[in-house]
Parts: sequence; C-alpha cells; structure tokens
Amino acid sequence: MDLTFYQIIAPVIAVVAIVYAWSLVGRKKKTMWEGILWTLFWGLVASLAMFPNLMNWVSAVTGIKDRENAVFITFFGVLFFIVFYLVMRLEEMEQRQTRIVRKIALRDSGLDEDEKE
Amino acid sequence: MKTIAVIPAYNEESRVEVVINDVSQYVSEVIVVDDGSSDATALNAEKAGAKLVQHVENCGAGAATMTGIDAARAMGAEIIVTIDADEQHNPKDIPALITPLKEGRADVVFANRFGQKNRIPFVRRFANGCGNILTFFTTGKWVSDSQCGFKAFGPKAIEEIDLKMSGFEFCSEIVRETVQHRWRMQQIPTKVLYSEYTLAKGQSFANGIKTALKVLLRSFLR
Repeated sequence: MDLTFYQIIAPVIAVVAIVYAWSLVGRKKKTMWEGILWTLFWGLVASLAMFPNLMNWVSAVTGIKDRENAVFITFFGVLFFIVFYLVMRLEEMEQRQTRIVRKIALRDSGLDEDEKE
Repeated sequence: MKTIAVIPAYNEESRVEVVINDVSQYVSEVIVVDDGSSDATALNAEKAGAKLVQHVENCGAGAATMTGIDAARAMGAEIIVTIDADEQHNPKDIPALITPLKEGRADVVFANRFGQKNRIPFVRRFANGCGNILTFFTTGKWVSDSQCGFKAFGPKAIEEIDLKMSGFEFCSEIVRETVQHRWRMQQIPTKVLYSEYTLAKGQSFANGIKTALKVLLRSFLR
C-alpha cells in the first residue's frame, strides 16, 4: 500500500496531540472527560487519514462528488480556521480586560492580596 | 467558622438592600460586588452595611463572583456563600446549605431549586435542563441545578477555585472545577421565588445560546 505524506503525518500529529492531552490530564490541567473528548477528536482525524475510503461514505452522505465541491469545502475549512483563530484571540483579550477590571476593584477596596505581599 | 456572603450585583438598586439585610442574619460579613452598575446599587449596598467592591466596567456575573471570592479570601473566609441580588433565593436556606461544609462532609454545596416544590415557569425549567445537559456533556458530571447562583464553598474549594469565565458560563465552570479538584459535592433543595422582576432580569434565550457556545468553545480550547 502506497502511503501519502498526509497519511503518515496526520496520525503522528494525532498521537502527539493525544499524548499531550493525557499529560495535561495527568498534571490536572484537563479533566478526564476532556481527555476523552480530545482522544475522540484526534482519533477521528487519524482514522480519516489512514482510511480515506471512509470519505466515500461521507461524500455519499453529503453529496461532495466533484473537484469544484472539494475546493469549496477546502476554502470553507480555511475560513472556519480563521474564524476560530479570531474567536480565540477575542476570548484572550476579553479575559485580559476582565483581569484588569477585577484587579482594580480589589486594589481600590484594599483587598488585593498581591499588593499586600 | 467565618462565613462570608458574596453578592454579585448589576443594576439592583431596588433589591440589594433587602437581600443584604436578610443575608446578614446568617453570615459574619457580606460582600457586594457592583459589576459596573449605572444606578444606585453601590450606594445602597454601602448604606446597608456591606463591604463594597466595585468593577469600573460591566464584566459579567462570573467575573463579579470571582472578584467577590478573591475579596472574601483576603478577608479570611472559611466558608463562602454566593447568592443572587434579585431576591429569588431565600436566605433562610443558608444554614442548610453550609451545614455539610461545617460538618466536613462536602467541599462545595449546590442549591437545587428543583429539589422541592417550587413554582418555576416552564421556560426556566427547560432552559435549566438544557444547561444541565450541556454541563454534563462538557464536564462528565451531572448536577441537578448546575445553573443556580446560590452555592457554598468550604476551605478546600476556597483555596483552589479559579474561575476564568466572565459571564453566566461560570456556573458550568464551577462544576468543572468540582471535577478537576475532586471536591466533595452535595446538593440541597432550596426555595426559589420567581417574580416578574426576576424573570425580566434573568437570561434571555439568545443569551442562553451565547452562553452554551462559550461553554463548548472553552471546553475545547483548554
């Protein structure tokens, strides 16, 4: 069986991601449940890479049969990634702003433990 | 044990004084976190004798609760009770809520508005049911009333809790913290009073969807 580069690299990345997720579970930064969800997600990525014929079933169900549709779906995926990245950045900024507001509130009340130290 | 009540409040000028006076009978001190209100909530809270902590900007119920917990920690709290400022909870339930903590049987106690006969509108029951299912899906732990703001935390939980979510998602995050830190949990049936005021102040359907998406996103990003 001839393996493509993607078929080799995707399972490797999936294994690394799963090991990393479980190391976070071990360090109590993730819960067991989140570890299971991550394992299922990356397991699916690896399965699709190793057994691309699974996509035949997906294409039969979704109706993606020609190249034009494949291109459309690919760009849809790229856009999805960009939105995902932007949402992450927005979340980070919102958290940072909240931390600042909370810190000011505690400092003004004389209850900021960091200031006391 | 030193028990401090934390009341996150946003535009609750008409209710906050009554809640503080009622809650004061059951705890050593009361902290009100004014979450950037545009009315006289802060003024009325101070008038009623609560320790006031003020956000300069509205950040959400989760952020206000965590600020209150930090303040209570700094004041040496051994038990923290969080309660809404809109009078929907009955402070008479506080002793029952903190008993498992005092007896060392639990680290966190959740109030359960569905554990006894209460008049709860169907829409609220449905929304809370969806919240419970989503919380179970993201944390793996079933809590009968995961979205209730009435809770009590014991010494272990006070030391370890670190909420990062700003809005109403924090209720699901507390369940996640319970799982993560292996806190012993108990659920106590409590009274709830839904009035036109509390229903108007509560979450809208659109807000509920936003909260659900945030919970899912955060559980994936962690």
